[in-house]
Amino acid sequence: MTRPRSLRSLPFGAVLVLLLVAPGWAQTPKYGGVLVTHPLSAAPSLSPHEESTVAVTQQAGPCFNNLVYYDPAKKVESVDTIIPELAERWSWQDGYRNLIFFLRRDVKFHDGKPFTSADVKYTFDAVRGAPDAKVKLKVNPRKLWYENIEHIEAPDPYTVVFRLKKPQPSLLPMLASGYSPVYPAHVPLAEFKNKCIGTGPFKLKENKPGELVEYVRNPDYFVKGRPYLDGIKFIVIRDRSTQIAAVQSGQLDVAGTGWNRTNAEDAKKGAPKLTVVETDSNVNDNILINYKKPPFNDRRIRRAIDLALDRKAYLVGPRQGAATFGGALLPRPAGVWGLPAAEIAKLPGMGDAAKQKAEAKKLLAEAGYGPSNPLKFTLATRALAIYVDTASWMVDQLAQVGIEATLEQIETGVWHPKMTRLEYSVALNLTGIGIDDPDAQLFENYRCGSQRNFSGYCSEEIDRLMVEQSQATDPKKRLALVNEIDRRLQADGARPILGWGKQHWVLWPHVKGWVTHENSIYNVSRRQDVWLDK
Amino acid sequence: MRVYVLKRIVIAGVTLLGMSILIFVLMRLAPGNITDIIYESAGYVDEADRKKLEAELGIDKPVAIQYTRWLGEFVRGDLGKSYRYDLPAWEVIKPRLPVSLELAFIALVFSIVLGVPAGVVSAVSRGRPIDYVLRVLSLAGLSMPSFWLGMIVILLLVRALGWIPSMTYVSPFENLGANLFQFLLPGLAVGYRSSALIMRITRSTMLEVLREDYIRTAWAKGQRQTFVVWRHALKNASLPVITLIGIEFAFLIGGLIVTETVFNLPGVARYLVDAIQFRDYPIVQNLVMLIAVVVVFANLTVDLLYTWLDPRIKYGNA
Repeated sequence: MTRPRSLRSLPFGAVLVLLLVAPGWAQTPKYGGVLVTHPLSAAPSLSPHEESTVAVTQQAGPCFNNLVYYDPAKKVESVDTIIPELAERWSWQDGYRNLIFFLRRDVKFHDGKPFTSADVKYTFDAVRGAPDAKVKLKVNPRKLWYENIEHIEAPDPYTVVFRLKKPQPSLLPMLASGYSPVYPAHVPLAEFKNKCIGTGPFKLKENKPGELVEYVRNPDYFVKGRPYLDGIKFIVIRDRSTQIAAVQSGQLDVAGTGWNRTNAEDAKKGAPKLTVVETDSNVNDNILINYKKPPFNDRRIRRAIDLALDRKAYLVGPRQGAATFGGALLPRPAGVWGLPAAEIAKLPGMGDAAKQKAEAKKLLAEAGYGPSNPLKFTLATRALAIYVDTASWMVDQLAQVGIEATLEQIETGVWHPKMTRLEYSVALNLTGIGIDDPDAQLFENYRCGSQRNFSGYCSEEIDRLMVEQSQATDPKKRLALVNEIDRRLQADGARPILGWGKQHWVLWPHVKGWVTHENSIYNVSRRQDVWLDK
Repeated sequence: MRVYVLKRIVIAGVTLLGMSILIFVLMRLAPGNITDIIYESAGYVDEADRKKLEAELGIDKPVAIQYTRWLGEFVRGDLGKSYRYDLPAWEVIKPRLPVSLELAFIALVFSIVLGVPAGVVSAVSRGRPIDYVLRVLSLAGLSMPSFWLGMIVILLLVRALGWIPSMTYVSPFENLGANLFQFLLPGLAVGYRSSALIMRITRSTMLEVLREDYIRTAWAKGQRQTFVVWRHALKNASLPVITLIGIEFAFLIGGLIVTETVFNLPGVARYLVDAIQFRDYPIVQNLVMLIAVVVVFANLTVDLLYTWLDPRIKYGNA
C-alpha cells in the first residue's frame, strides 16, 4: 500500500530511474525455482538465540519470523525502517517503559499449530533468563540485550506486553534483529539443534549438518503471495576457490558471503554476466590491547600503537580499497550513530603518516622504549585469512616505529576463549554488530565486566554515559551522548578501530529481489521477496 | 602359515591399541575443550551450566576413566554422541564414510591402473622416448600436491567448459553414472600422485627382475614378450609394489582431507577437520580410529597377500 503512494509523489523521471535501478521491483515477479547459495560456514545449529554467527542467521532466517523486522527494501536500518512481522502493530507507553505488541491472528507454525502470545512470552522469557522461564537456553549470547525487561505479560492470545525496568527505546531495534525470532513453545528447544519449526516463509526440508540446509516453500505462510521461490538450498562449500568456481559454473545463484573485493572481481572475470554488489557491513577490524597487562595499561603505549597504524595504508593494503573509517560505531551514511566525518578525519592513524609515526616514537621513548630497548610483544590473531592479512600488515606498520611484534595465529575454535580470558597482549580482531544500535555495540564490547569486552577496558564514567544514552528518548540527545562516548573511547585507545569492512555479493542476473543492508549483515535473511527470472 | 597370520593379526591389534592412546592423548593436549568453545565464544558463561555440560559429556572425569570408557564403547560399537550436533556420532559419521571410502577406492584404482602398466612399459622400453615421457609424467605427479591439482582441474573446467562436478553429493544408489562422474576427477587428482610413485617403483623393480637369469631363460626359450613380462617378471617384481600400495592407501586417506574440501565432497576426512576445530572428541576419536582400522586392515591384507605372492613367507619365520 505505501509503495505506490510514495511513487505517485515522485516526478516521472525519478520513477523511471527507480524502475531501472531496481530491476527486482520493476518486473512482475515469477513464482518457482530453487535458489542455491552458500553460507559463511556450516551452521552449528538452527537456533539463532543460542548462536552468535551470521552463518546461523543466514540459514535459519527463512524458517522464522520476528515480532518486528527491518524492512528488507531499506538499505540503512534504523528505528524508522522497522516493520511489523508477527505483530500487526506495536505501541510504546509510559515513556518507553512498556512496549505492547498486537499480534496477527492468521499465523501457523510449520507443524500446523497456531501462533499466539504464549510463544512470544516463552521465547523472550527464555532469552532474558527469567526465573520462571519454561526453558533455559544452553547458551545465551544476547541475554544482555534483554536485561532491562522486568516482566513479559500475555493478557490474551494476541497481545504481549514487555514491561521494562527503565525506559529503553532500543528494545524495539533489538527485537527486529535476525537474532530475535519467535520460537514455538510446544517444540522442545533441543530440536532446534538440527531441525527448525517456525512460522517463516520456508519449511525445512533437509538438514545435513556441515553439508547442506534445504528449505521448501511454506504454502501456509501468512504473507499472501510469498514466498516466490519454491525453495532455498544452502550448500556448505569451505574452499573459497571452489565457491568462486561454483558460482561461475552456475551451480550457485548467489555467492560472496565472507568474500573480499578481489574474490568478487575474480568471480566476475570468469563469468562477466555476474553482478557484483558492494555494501557496508557493520563489521569492523579492531585492535585489542590488553588493559590488564603491563605495559599496555600505559595510555602512551596504547596511543603509540594506535598512531603507528596508518589507516590509509590499511585501506589500500589488507582491505583492498573496500572499507570506511570510523570510531566505535559505523559512520554515516551507512550507519546511524557514528562520529561526524570531520571528527573521524582527526582520529589517531588518520593524519599524515610520517608525523603520526614520529609522534608514536616519541610516546614510546617517553614510556622507556627505543632502538636499544624496543617494545616487543606477540600480536595474536585468528587463523583465518581475513584476520591474518590485516595482522601481517600490522606487524610491518609497527616495525616502522620500532615495535617488534611477532605474529601468532590462534586456531579459530579457541580464539574467543583466549580473548575472553585476556590471554594475549595485543590482538587483531573482527567484530560484527548485530544491529546498528549503541546499546548492542557499547554494552557488549566496552562495558566493565562484559564477557565480550575482550580488551578489559573499564571506565565508570563511560558506563554511566552508556546507561544515560540507553534511556534517552530524544533521538538527537541520544546521538549527542553516543558521539561523546565514542570520542572518549577513541581518546582512551579503547579497542582502536582500523576501519569498517565492506561485504561483497555476486549474483547472476536472473536473481531478483536479493537485498543487502548497509549497516548489518544479520537482518536480511527471510528471502521471501527473492525470485528467479528464469 | 597359521603362525604368520596370527602374528600379523596380533601386531595389527597392538597397533590399533597404540593408535587409540595416541589419538586420545593428542586430543587432550590441544588447548580448550568443547565447553570453552560453546560458552565463551558466545560471550556468556554460566559456570554452573558449564560444569553441568562437562558432567553430561563425561569430560569432568579423570582422563584415564574417560579413555577406558571410550575404548570400551568403541569396541562394543557404541560411538557416543557428537557434542557439536547433539546427534549420535554414528549418525553423523555413517553417511560420510562411504563418500571417503569410494573416493579412496577410486583413487587407488587409478593409481594401480595407471601406475603399474606405466612402470612395466617404461621398464621394457628403457631409454626409448616412451620411457622418458612416462618418467616426466611420473615426476610431475610426484611434484604436484593433490589439492593443488584438484584446484587446477576445477579452474580449467570452469574456464574451458563453464562446468564443474556437482557441489552436492550424488549417491551411487540414486544415480550411479552421475556418482562416478562426480568422483572421477577427485579420484584422479588423488590417485595421480600415488600412480607416479607406483610407476617408479614398478619400473625399478621390473628392471632388476628383467635382468634375472630365469627371465633370460624364458626369452631364450622363445616365449612371447607379453607372457614373459606380465606373467614371469611382473609377478616377481610385484612384492615391493604391493607393499607400496598398502602404504599409499594410508597416504590416500590423508590426501582426501584437502581433495574433499576442494571438490566439496561430504566425506569423513573433511568433516574430521571441523570436528577437531570444535574439540568434538567422540567424532574425532572415533573417526580417526575408524580410519586407523581401515589402514591397519589394508596393511594386514597386504601382509597376507605376500603369502600368495612369495610362497617362501608361508614357511619362514617372517
